[in-house]
Amino acid sequence: MTSEPRAFLAIDHGSATSSATLIGRVGAAWRLIGTLAVPAAAEPEAAIDLLGRRVHAADRTLAERLGLGSGGRRIDGLPRLEVRSRPPGRLVVVAGSERTLAGLMAAAGRGGWLATGASMETADPMAMSRLLLATDVAGILAGSSDPPRPDERGTIRELAALVAAVAERRPGLPIVLAGAMAEGLAAFGDVADRPGEIVLGPPPAPGPASSVGGPLADLLLELALPVDDPRRTVGAATQAIADVLDRRVEAIALGHDAGVRAWATPSAGGQEGVPRVAVVADAAVAPNDPDDAAVDGVLVWSTVPTDRHRLRDGLRELRIAPWAGAAGDGSALRMAAARAALVRLVAATPERASEPPPDIVVASGGVWSSVPAPTVTLALADVIRRPGASQVALDHARLLATLGAIPDPGERRALIADLVDDLLAPLGTVIMPAGLRAGRSAGGLTLHAGGTTTEVGLVPGGLELVDLAPGETGTAEFRFRDTVRLATRGRHFAVDVAGGLGGLLVDLRDIPLRLPDRADRRRDLLQAWQRALWAGSSE
Amino acid sequence: MTGSADMSDMDREIGLVGLRRIIDDHVEVRFRLEPGDRSLVAVGETVVPGAPIIERLRDPQLQELAVPGSAQPQPGGRVSEGELLFEWRGRWRIAGGDLTETVESPVAGIVREVRQGGAVTVRTGGRAVTGIVALGGPTRGQLRLATGRDGELRSGGLDVGFAGAILVVGSRIDAETLTRARAMGIRGVIVSGLASKERRDFVASEARQHAALHRLSPFAVLVLDGAVRRPLSSPVAAVFDALVGAEVAIVTDPPMLVFDVPGVIPPPAPAGHVRVRSGEHAGREGTWAGMLGLRRFPGGVQLDAARVRLPDGSVIAVPLGDLERFG
Repeated sequence: MTSEPRAFLAIDHGSATSSATLIGRVGAAWRLIGTLAVPAAAEPEAAIDLLGRRVHAADRTLAERLGLGSGGRRIDGLPRLEVRSRPPGRLVVVAGSERTLAGLMAAAGRGGWLATGASMETADPMAMSRLLLATDVAGILAGSSDPPRPDERGTIRELAALVAAVAERRPGLPIVLAGAMAEGLAAFGDVADRPGEIVLGPPPAPGPASSVGGPLADLLLELALPVDDPRRTVGAATQAIADVLDRRVEAIALGHDAGVRAWATPSAGGQEGVPRVAVVADAAVAPNDPDDAAVDGVLVWSTVPTDRHRLRDGLRELRIAPWAGAAGDGSALRMAAARAALVRLVAATPERASEPPPDIVVASGGVWSSVPAPTVTLALADVIRRPGASQVALDHARLLATLGAIPDPGERRALIADLVDDLLAPLGTVIMPAGLRAGRSAGGLTLHAGGTTTEVGLVPGGLELVDLAPGETGTAEFRFRDTVRLATRGRHFAVDVAGGLGGLLVDLRDIPLRLPDRADRRRDLLQAWQRALWAGSSE
Repeated sequence: MTGSADMSDMDREIGLVGLRRIIDDHVEVRFRLEPGDRSLVAVGETVVPGAPIIERLRDPQLQELAVPGSAQPQPGGRVSEGELLFEWRGRWRIAGGDLTETVESPVAGIVREVRQGGAVTVRTGGRAVTGIVALGGPTRGQLRLATGRDGELRSGGLDVGFAGAILVVGSRIDAETLTRARAMGIRGVIVSGLASKERRDFVASEARQHAALHRLSPFAVLVLDGAVRRPLSSPVAAVFDALVGAEVAIVTDPPMLVFDVPGVIPPPAPAGHVRVRSGEHAGREGTWAGMLGLRRFPGGVQLDAARVRLPDGSVIAVPLGDLERFG
């Protein structure tokens, strides 16, 4: 007998669904034994009980060895590793000018906050006071560039006085003074005794949109979410996977309240790697009160005939009960909403477009749970358009956030090293060349895998799907007629590929993707692309 | 023995269905207090229905004023001209105005918090049925049933006899009927579903009405379920049946129907009672008959499903996520 646990439960209490996963010691390694997801409004204990019974029914010997007892009923006594999502807080962002406000909003938008903003250029102090004093405000960001630009020089002192007055009335609110706004600190009096922090932060990143992620966004993320928040722990898990596999890894997690994009390169030189994380509340699958832009963003990806009003109704229903209505047209709505959320997530992290593509993309989130796994690959390829080759995997048991919450990096890495093959369901490999010219043929592909050779003709503008089972690896040789870009420029490439549930997907469509303006043609095209990967999608 | 074990498993399994509370006790409700508005109550005071609690500025304007230091001005304080916002270059910016209107409490309770520029929070002594959104302003009236639980109220179905009442209208209503109801002196409407288009049209109409010099009595729409048509659930309808003729209130933050009627205890939902919230069987109710496991549904999706026995004895397979139960 040993006091070391032979099994434990990893539980992710999400905003839409909760998942419970049983992880057990089998031989010398930790393995994923079983998993179950239920609506967030259900009782987690009922899910755990059912999970125990299912494991027991599937393998009684293993269940008893793991300590689940007769019928799997002792599962509720196992140690638990739990994370719980909370809705993002509202941050009011104020600035002297519209230009600075845009930079601050971009930083706040990827820092885990629901951001609402106003500048002295367009809002009077009354409107600004109304905004800052609202009962749902959880934090304030007041900022300016450093040194202040001419268009904000005349207003930031008045703005500091306004924010200081609000700070006096709402002593518990945390306040960030960014850039030259810090010069107004004196207006806040003695801040040492104030219950809410007053933090001096860097100015918004200047220059092009690609520099929106920076120290200010990182600071706001620290303030928005505790270290063990599942949206932040996705970053730690991504780093651990990168270290374990020695690959560049990017995780895309779409949630009910926010989208997360985390990317990491393997640690090197004895230094712990630091993952980059963007938590974008605007990239929630179902926005709280969908405006016209949000509805239109989903409408673009809709594969079923609908209009704005019905789609808005559908999005509201999805917001109210995200676990419900997943069959029939509901599945098409979810996939369209997921693609629209991905678009917003990609727009909030523009720096990724100029960085090399990751070796592995990990998709996570309850929105993917009900659709056929290969469809996830297509959804990612539809939106994240970058030349290169990446393997795609699905965090099917939603373990990224829970395992990322293990505080010790070494322990986290060791556990993920054991579990990595179980927690990542391989979806396949996506190869996306850029610079193809229109024509009947772009060249050919020869796939060498499992002792066989497959020849495939490449047609510009289309998708080529090649069977490559999970666990299989091979080499794809490309011979293009013209020079294309696939990591580097050239005509002949040999790419190592790995199989998955969706096989090898060669995406010869435009970068960026161009869709027809006419809704019926766009729908037909989207359906045609989807049909090969989603049997029964048009039922 | 096996039978009792199975029964016990079934009892546990129903916990997999999302739980929706029918009635909440002792809720806290908030009444918006914007810069310039004045609270007429203080923390700890008791309010009764109809008691004035807020003096609201109709068209607040920003003013500048020199306030002597002897008045010990501070942000949120008041002078005769209005509410002090902040000091700037030796003068105070003030939210003030001439026209005011009084907001009355639709509920009885104790004032828990007054945040100038934020909200007045009242802890009610009554109980509440929660909705997903409430449009309009806090209101109070006598509860009446206008339709059955799956009915739809059209503008032609409104009657002057409904004036002063809060109507339960079943599954759906349109914006035209809502605006007409407001004009006829009806105080509020409770509906299961309100489509986004109707919601937008009503909100726009409400904004126009607020801008008018002559305002009508407060009116609110409480939406219980969502944006699509579905009948009121029978456990919630049973609460409304028990409240017919009673004075009730609709508050907007949080969105709920508040009532303080001693002795109104709705009958508990039968054991294992579930309602199909979405999907092809939306609105139907029945009894939990156990888990089925993964099943393939239209659209080519695989979902965990459960068996539901309908009142006619037939059994249907429903995705677990489409079900809800009441407690």
